[in-house]
Amino acid sequence: MADIPITTHVIEFPYTRTLGPVIGPFLTGLRDGQILGIRSVDGRVLVPPTEWDPETGMPLDPAGLVPVGPGGVVETWAWVTRPTAKHPLAHPFAFALVRLDGADTALMHAVDAGSIESMATGMRVTAKFRDERHGHITDVVFVPEERA
Amino acid sequence: MSEQPVVAASDSEQPVVMMDYFMHLEYREVVCPIVRRYADALMDGKILGQISPTSGLVYVPPRSYCPVSCEWLGEDHLVELEDHGVVTNFTIVTPVQYYGQEETEPFAKASVLLDGPGGMLGLQDILDLPVDELRVGMRVEAVWLPPEERTKDEIGNRSWGSVDGAIRGWRPTGEPDVPAEQFLDKVY
Repeated sequence: MADIPITTHVIEFPYTRTLGPVIGPFLTGLRDGQILGIRSVDGRVLVPPTEWDPETGMPLDPAGLVPVGPGGVVETWAWVTRPTAKHPLAHPFAFALVRLDGADTALMHAVDAGSIESMATGMRVTAKFRDERHGHITDVVFVPEERA
Repeated sequence: MSEQPVVAASDSEQPVVMMDYFMHLEYREVVCPIVRRYADALMDGKILGQISPTSGLVYVPPRSYCPVSCEWLGEDHLVELEDHGVVTNFTIVTPVQYYGQEETEPFAKASVLLDGPGGMLGLQDILDLPVDELRVGMRVEAVWLPPEERTKDEIGNRSWGSVDGAIRGWRPTGEPDVPAEQFLDKVY
């Protein structure tokens, strides 16, 4: 018995949540290989879509869901040098705010750029969908457009 | 905290309406010297506690301070505790088959006040007794795991694990019950 004085405790909570009339279609879209935004009261396209208008608090009509992307622009980013088991990728990557084509707001997501030198604010990225998808935000990852 | 699906949200023909969130928290901590000493003693079949000379309270596992008298406790305050005592309180749990629940039948978790210097162990398993026969005041003794099966892996600085890795549970000794009046101030 190695006498390393470290102890590890794990606590796990499984939750199941209903998704509602907007996030449900958004994740259904991801599973089906499409990214959806929603039209706000003032006509902007919000990505990710929300059930409520951020300015007025009014409910947004799911009929206003519109496809966006798959390409977009990196607005800002942070490089993750040492991913943990909880990160979407097992190797170094960027968390970035990506404003998808057709969208007026940015989606925070992972960019699989290979190296920090490949990252730049203003760069073009595009959605790359995983082969096996479950209707989850990690069904997609972004890659530099020239590598797509 | 992470949120990851444990199963596919739905099959590919149906809209996605539910989401599984799997929250997983992992704590890693360096075990402090006094708790290591407690853990090593437990492997040798001894329960160590710390007694506060001012308040007279006994802490098991030792915690290096007494929050009642506001004083530090050290090696000098270590005391070997008895491995028998009295049930001062208990809860009967009817298990719901939630994730991770391994029990299927009602079971008891009891507070055991140790004899001699004292020391209170909470959430202890009571063995060899139908749950409806458990009562406050019942005298019990520790059922130690064989030395080769004991483990201190779960023992941390916040009493998690406690005696679980060395003591399987407690069984009635058959001795007369202890009147509740004798431990009314120690019912947790």
